[in-house]
Order: sequence, then C-alpha cells, then structure tokens
Amino acid sequence: MVMSVNTCADDAPPGAASEFWRAVRTSFPVAMSFIPFGLVLGAQARMQHLSSWQVPVMTGLNFGGGSEFAAIGLWTSPPHILLIVSVTFLINSRHLLMGAVFAPYLNKLSRFKALVCLFFMCDEAWALSLSDCKKRGFSLPYYTGVAGMLYFNWVLSTFAGALLGPVLGDVTRYGFDMAFPAVFFVLLKGMWKGLLFSGLPWVVSLAVAITAYLYLPKGWYVPCGALAGLTLAWWQARA
Amino acid sequence: MIILTIIFMALATYSTRIGGYLILSRYPVSRRVARMMEVAPGCILISVLAPDFASGRVADLLALGVTMLAALRFSLFYTVLIGIGSAWLLRAWVPV
Repeated sequence: MVMSVNTCADDAPPGAASEFWRAVRTSFPVAMSFIPFGLVLGAQARMQHLSSWQVPVMTGLNFGGGSEFAAIGLWTSPPHILLIVSVTFLINSRHLLMGAVFAPYLNKLSRFKALVCLFFMCDEAWALSLSDCKKRGFSLPYYTGVAGMLYFNWVLSTFAGALLGPVLGDVTRYGFDMAFPAVFFVLLKGMWKGLLFSGLPWVVSLAVAITAYLYLPKGWYVPCGALAGLTLAWWQARA
Repeated sequence: MIILTIIFMALATYSTRIGGYLILSRYPVSRRVARMMEVAPGCILISVLAPDFASGRVADLLALGVTMLAALRFSLFYTVLIGIGSAWLLRAWVPV
C-alpha cells in the first residue's frame, strides 16, 4: 500500500489539502481495483433490463458492490422488491458492526456530518480510514478523500460498464474478478492479530459461509459465516 | 418499479451504515463485545469471499491460493496484478 511519508517538520497539524491528497494517493490502488468490478456490474445490469442511467442511480444511492451484484443476480422483470431488499440488508448487515467500531472516531463530528460520512462507508473506505484513525485519529479531509475517490470511481465505472456492456462480453474470462479477493486478502493481512485471535475465527467463518452458500438461500452466507466466527470469538473471550 | 426497488435497497443499506453508529455507540461496550467487534471485520470480509471459494473450479482455487500468498508478500497493487494474472493464466491452462 502506498503510504505517504512526508511528515511535517514542525508540530502543526497537517493542512486539509495535504490530508485530502494523502487520502487520494493511499486509496488510488483500491479505487483502480473497483473499475473492473464496476464494468462487470454495469454490463450485467444491462443484461437484466436496467437502463444505462438506472445503473449509476443504483450504485450512487446504494453504494455497496456486494449487494449490487447479488441484487442484479436476483433481478427479474418486474423485480421482486422484498427479496432484493432483504438480501441487500443481509449482505450489508456487516456495516452495523463496522459502524459501531467506527463510532468512537466519528464522535468528534456533529451528528449531521457523521450521518453524511456514514452514507459513504463502504468496506474499503471503512478499512482504509479505520487503520488511519488508529495511527493518527479521525481526519475529515482524509476520510473525504478516501470515500470520494472510491465513490466516484464506483459510480463512474458502473456507468461506463452500463454504456459499454453490450460491447464488452464476459470480463471474468480475463481474470479481472480476482481483483476482489486480492483486495480482501490484503485488507485481512492488515487485520491479522495472531493464529488464535484472528486466524481461527476467520477459518470457522469461511467454512460456515461456504457451507451456507452451498446449501442455504442466496444472501445468508455472510451473516451465517460472520456469526459463526463471532460466536467463537465470544467463547474465546470468556473470563 | 425498478426505481422503487433501488430506493428501498438504498434505504436498507443506509440503515445498516447508521444503525451501528446510532444504536451501539449509546451503550457501554463489555470486554467480550469489544473482542467480538475486533474480530468481526475479518470474519465478515472472509465470509463475503465464500462464493469465490465455493466455485468448485480447480483453476479458481489455485488462483485464490496464489493471490493469498501474494498478499502475504506484496503491496495491494502488486497483489491485485498477480491475482488477475494468475486467474487468467490458470483458467487458460487448467481445464476444470
């Protein structure tokens, strides 16, 4: 990950502009990794009869790639609202915990500003700014830079995918879909805190999530896998 | 109908984003809950990857292994490149 090292010689806090650009540089590789997904999602959405302008409306209002892929996979004409909305909620239910983890850092903001910030809290924006918070505390210009980069890249690349979709064909053929796990593996490496503390709950989560994915209805594997790992962590922390 | 679905999707997603902040931040956090919240992001991220592991294609599983090893060694940018490259090559060479 490209981390800036231009530390200020004096003790003055870094200016908003430099914080913003530091965020843009840090989030650049992640933002680039969104592009192939955006193209694929936009293209798939067009095949499910969404129009080219409805795609950026969806990705701009919802802004959660995993849930959007699932929604497009379940899309029918007319769409089954209850099914799609509950799957969206289940897949994004992880944000409840992520928001709770992030809350202490947001407490220095006004409630309104915090609620605006949270609208843009995707997995990657959360992970990048949380790791920065732990080192330097919450910085609004930094968060704005990270979230803004990711948001505009996602909305624009899904829009591009919707426009180019009929021309592109099957993008997974070239391996671009492996960018998604690659990003996650790097994020996981940053969260690693030892075999017993992190490794064991993760392996249990993965095993249960795979089983749930294979045998339960679509959308259940994320809460099931997460719950299994969390139950183990809860048991491990017994006094 | 499409726009209505999109609006409700967006509301569902936004409620998950503000729910933890609005509700959980009001209560004191016990040691056990703190431990769970520390482990949670990894558990959730790895669960999101379940479909990639469950594809049943040998080429995909090998590419996931290569990408995982790359993540241990390299920065994000190179890990993504190695991931994409290995998936592309392995799918071309490994028939199943």
